[in-house]
Amino acid sequence: MPLPDFVRTVTFRWTLAVAAIFVVYVLLLFGVIYWRTERYLTSRSDAVVTLQAQIFAAEPPERQLDAIDELLRQDPRKVQNAGLFTADGHRLTGNLERLPPDLRIDGPAQRSLVPVGQSRAEMQAVRAVARKLPDGKVLVIGRNVDEVVAITGIVGEALAAGLIPALCLSIAAGVLLSIRAQKRVDEVNRRAERIVAGDLRQRLPAHGGNDSFDKLAVIVNGMLDEIEALVHEIAGVGDDIAHDLRTPLTRVRIGLQRGRANSRTLEESHAVFDNAIRGLDQSLAIITAILRIAEIEHNRRLAGFSNVALAMLVREVGDLYEPIAEEKGVILRVQADNETTVRGDRDLLFEAVANIVDNAVKFTPKGGHVRITLIDGAGKSVVRVSDTGPGITEDEREIVTRRFYRSDRSRQTQGVGLGLSLVAAILKLHGFRLTIAAGPGCVIEVACPHVSAA
Amino acid sequence: MLGWETTMAKLLLIEDDREMAGEIIAELADHGFEVDWAATGIEGLDKARSGNPDALIVDRLLPGMDGVTIVEALRQDQVRTPVLILSALGAVDDRVRGLRAGGDDYLTKPFDLVELIARIEALLRRPAASLEAKLKVGPLELDLIERTAKRGDRSIELLPREFRLLEYMMRRKDQTLTRAMLLEEVWKYKFVPQTNLVDVHMGRLRHKVDDQHEPPMIHSVRGVGFILRAPA
Repeated sequence: MPLPDFVRTVTFRWTLAVAAIFVVYVLLLFGVIYWRTERYLTSRSDAVVTLQAQIFAAEPPERQLDAIDELLRQDPRKVQNAGLFTADGHRLTGNLERLPPDLRIDGPAQRSLVPVGQSRAEMQAVRAVARKLPDGKVLVIGRNVDEVVAITGIVGEALAAGLIPALCLSIAAGVLLSIRAQKRVDEVNRRAERIVAGDLRQRLPAHGGNDSFDKLAVIVNGMLDEIEALVHEIAGVGDDIAHDLRTPLTRVRIGLQRGRANSRTLEESHAVFDNAIRGLDQSLAIITAILRIAEIEHNRRLAGFSNVALAMLVREVGDLYEPIAEEKGVILRVQADNETTVRGDRDLLFEAVANIVDNAVKFTPKGGHVRITLIDGAGKSVVRVSDTGPGITEDEREIVTRRFYRSDRSRQTQGVGLGLSLVAAILKLHGFRLTIAAGPGCVIEVACPHVSAA
Repeated sequence: MLGWETTMAKLLLIEDDREMAGEIIAELADHGFEVDWAATGIEGLDKARSGNPDALIVDRLLPGMDGVTIVEALRQDQVRTPVLILSALGAVDDRVRGLRAGGDDYLTKPFDLVELIARIEALLRRPAASLEAKLKVGPLELDLIERTAKRGDRSIELLPREFRLLEYMMRRKDQTLTRAMLLEEVWKYKFVPQTNLVDVHMGRLRHKVDDQHEPPMIHSVRGVGFILRAPA
């Protein structure tokens, strides 16, 4: 017969294990209680019989018979045994039929089986002592230890009464919990299978509770949200790539087709080829830029990080772009005096700042200004690039850092449209913050935390 | 045609893509190179050791062996043949970057064939580390200690970056230098900027080096880059 599913769950196995440990523990506890109680009662009986024997032995011989009878009479619970025997073992008085054979004379109190009752030869377990009196008679004093047996019975009953329901209860709880857990696991499995099958909108069931299962479900759902968003983004990026590549490739294709049909001379053919190569170069540039961003985004290693002198870097970027600005009739000013050090990959940071400046120079009309400023703040430096170009509207600010986004107004300007997404990728790798602020024109700020003194 | 003097240098191409190899070999042959081809790393390593080529072109990703591993194996054997590694952009790591420090070079795919030729030329004509204090090309003279330049008797005022650019070009006179090479070597710029940075900087330098009535020394090589030559 196959076992039901819940038996194989971890919860159920743990329940069984815990129940077993519980049983062992309770048995041990009861054992100790029993053992201690028994020892206590025994030692008390021993003390009593030893004392009694001492007292009776001290009585004058003519009082002893009466004293023993008296003692037995005054014992309503019938726990007392006493007997006086002649030196050769004949009973003189008391409730013992004969001298117990295993009882050592003048020894310490011990366990002994004694025959009791005049009519039946009934044996009873007692704690007893035997004393040889000066006149040669033997005095035996005993005390019934049925109490201990009774206590054992009580303990056993308590054990059964407590343990068996507890066991049943814990196993029932285990089964219940296991079935519940199994149900949730089955539910999760079903959902997960749907997700694997491609339904990314599925989420794990979270019952709004605060147990670990719910917490786990919330975490996994968070991951699924992120994955869903990423997949959508990738799909979107894929569309964008396809679109941006199709345009130049279509142009190349048409150009080649027309060139093949219409070229008469070698010069004409060459012109067609040159056009085609230019178009393909543009497509390749797009692919290169995408790969470059992917490379930066995947390169999470920080091993290449070192201390970077920011002011020097900013001045070098300014130096690189100054002639370009001048050629365009744009005034480029660099203000970076305070030497500050940040931690990062120098080449990548240079690329990021250069890209920002490149954009600023590109979008600033003739006669405009581009200003690169290094501002020292508390614990961080800010590289600010501001220009007097058309600026970026509030709606566009977040979107420009995405791959391929180009402001519609910039469609006519040369470029692949990946500049700011590249910058965003680099800064994300560094943990630096990119802000596109309002202002006349465009203000882009990069906040770089200083290297901590440690 | 592209402006450099062709040498009968012997090259070894280690590239597993047959079609790609065919294109590269054809282009190199057009420029007067003699090219041997190996399709696998093992074969390439054998040919590199026995064939004594003047330079190697090695694909980074080869079946069974990494291109950089080949270079390292050769260097272990004290083979100093210059190497150009072809690497996918995503596979440029510290090992590949380290090649430039060792005097070798790398190119990322996709690349322009003229860029490949220019790099090979540059590798074959690596300027020996000279301790000369002055560089001379025709009438052009560069004093590396005084940091001054003059053409004939006319002294030329150069900004530091222009000085660096001119020094680099004078050390590699008669060699076509691509924009990417100049960016990497002169500006230590590791990426291709969106703007024609090099052209603008070169334009300024040319303006200073070649006066209106002087025969030009800095020439543009269409679609490739620039070349510095003594006037004929």
